[in-house]
Amino acid sequence: MTNVIETRDLCRTFGSEETEVIALDHVSIDIEEGEFTAIIGPSGSGKTTLLHLIGGLDEPNSGSVMLSGSNIANMNGNQLSDFRRDHIGFIFQAYNLIPVLSAEENIEYIMLLQGVGAAERKKRVREMLAMVELEGLGDRRPAHLSGGQQQRVAVARAMASNPDIILADEPTANLDSKTGISLLDVMRDLNQQRNMTFVFSTHDEKIMERATRLIHLRDGKVELDERK
Amino acid sequence: MLAFRLAFRNLFRNTRRTVLTSLLISSALIVLILVDGLMLGMKDVMVGGITHTLEGEAQVVRKGFRNNFEVEYTIDDPTEVISQIETSDAVAGFAPRVIVGGMIASSYNTTGGLVYGVDAKQELDVSRISDAIVRGKYLSGEPREILIGEPMADLLEVDLGDRLIITAATVDTNEITQELFRLSGVFEFGPEEMDKNLIFVNLDQAQDVLGMQGNLHQIAMRFVDPEDPKNPELPLFKQLTNDKNEALGWLDLQPSIGALIEMSSYTTAIVGTILFLLTSLGVINSMFMSIYERIYEFGVAKAIGTTPWQIMQLVLFEALLLALFSCVFGLTIGYLLGDYFSVNGIPMGKMEVSGIVIDGNMYTRLALYQFINFPVYVTLLTVAAAIYPAAFASRIVPTEALQRAL
Repeated sequence: MTNVIETRDLCRTFGSEETEVIALDHVSIDIEEGEFTAIIGPSGSGKTTLLHLIGGLDEPNSGSVMLSGSNIANMNGNQLSDFRRDHIGFIFQAYNLIPVLSAEENIEYIMLLQGVGAAERKKRVREMLAMVELEGLGDRRPAHLSGGQQQRVAVARAMASNPDIILADEPTANLDSKTGISLLDVMRDLNQQRNMTFVFSTHDEKIMERATRLIHLRDGKVELDERK
Repeated sequence: MLAFRLAFRNLFRNTRRTVLTSLLISSALIVLILVDGLMLGMKDVMVGGITHTLEGEAQVVRKGFRNNFEVEYTIDDPTEVISQIETSDAVAGFAPRVIVGGMIASSYNTTGGLVYGVDAKQELDVSRISDAIVRGKYLSGEPREILIGEPMADLLEVDLGDRLIITAATVDTNEITQELFRLSGVFEFGPEEMDKNLIFVNLDQAQDVLGMQGNLHQIAMRFVDPEDPKNPELPLFKQLTNDKNEALGWLDLQPSIGALIEMSSYTTAIVGTILFLLTSLGVINSMFMSIYERIYEFGVAKAIGTTPWQIMQLVLFEALLLALFSCVFGLTIGYLLGDYFSVNGIPMGKMEVSGIVIDGNMYTRLALYQFINFPVYVTLLTVAAAIYPAAFASRIVPTEALQRAL
């Protein structure tokens, strides 16, 4: 199996010299294609920071991130945007859909950025909505969808660009238990059917149960890395 | 299309703010249209005051005559000059004149004045002497008719039918001559300088009294196209100008009015600049408020792969739509108000500018360019004002913005 994510000696600190907080301390991990990985640990252990660095949303103080063989430190702003658009799908804890766009349009948006033709976009939107079991709700705006439905739209949006990696930051944190399990099953199915690599940051035991690998972070360091 | 929908919907997330900003932009456009319309109207009054009152749109005179109105400076070969004017298609009308300084006396008083010998019929095509008559009647060509201004009539203490005597030097012998007239009409042009000093008599009688049969001091002209006399290279001017005579348009005859008109153009530019600056500040403020409200969305958009340039485009597109909405509203109201004031006028009171009296209302004049150029300027400047907020939005750091969503 090939590594789609490789981090080497990742360090990230926040604050000034006197109030410095070490969020990540020399984190080196390899994640293989198709893995369903959960990064777990207590609050402040560096989970979200690690996801942000892997996704190129933030820059490390030192160390490197290689995604599908490309060192993202060598990319400029536009190249990084393009790389994220084509290779990474994001799912956020607070769903973060664009409120003025309908569910369909939120999914379509990323394909528009990719330059996908209108007919193809429509076709893929229908597929994505079916995949996350939201047929018939495509014309609803986020305000008219439940939390679970919004997160499903967010999953569909993350999948719409056919990325290699899905990064999900506590995706079930705002969902009730039943909805969270349902969403996880959707994501697990996608992982198995499409061999997409999923990386979660989570406190959720349900995710931990379903994950094929658990990376334990504590105080910015990898405490334990276990494959099931 | 999705980008359009996104920009459109973003614009109307906060309808009140969008409407207020749009009102600000459209108000600037409306004021600009009205100010420019007013300037055009004022220009019309100024030009009309010069060209239509007495001077005509152009004049043929003997070179040097305009310096101090010396009576011996008569037009060289006036018959040929008139023939050339008559055959020109560009000329709508012309009025031959003699002009001489003299004394005018009544039974009670005496004063100086500028005596114009005019052809009553031809003056109707060139000047407004006939329209300026407030008492009595205009010249009919009968002997001994004379027109004077109201202030002069007051000074001389004369009424219609009273006798007046003009004393002047003859052109041919330079001897003093006198002629009796009876007041047939009293005029009021408006500018006090004209009403106190001008005297009109019939051309043939003036030529007889002054001993200058067939000779003329001035031929005033009106043109079919009012733009023609502004062109110093007009073929007719070239044709009529020689080493003795000169033909000049009103801009050369009244350079101070030309400068005043040029200044009125700057006024529109200055008002426009001030309005645009103020409007730009409003647009910048509104766009920033809109961006701050959506900062996490921009963070998400960047996180999922929207480039900084695409973010910038989105904000600029929103500004463009805002400008277009504002222009539609501004043009409609600007047209309605401009049209209303072009008919009913804006009350300005009485004022005199460079010898031109503006009495009562000032009328706006609408022009096509106001409805093409001004909205384009407003649109471009609104979009330009949005560049700064757009650049700010494009530089939003996703990780910082995403924290606001939590």
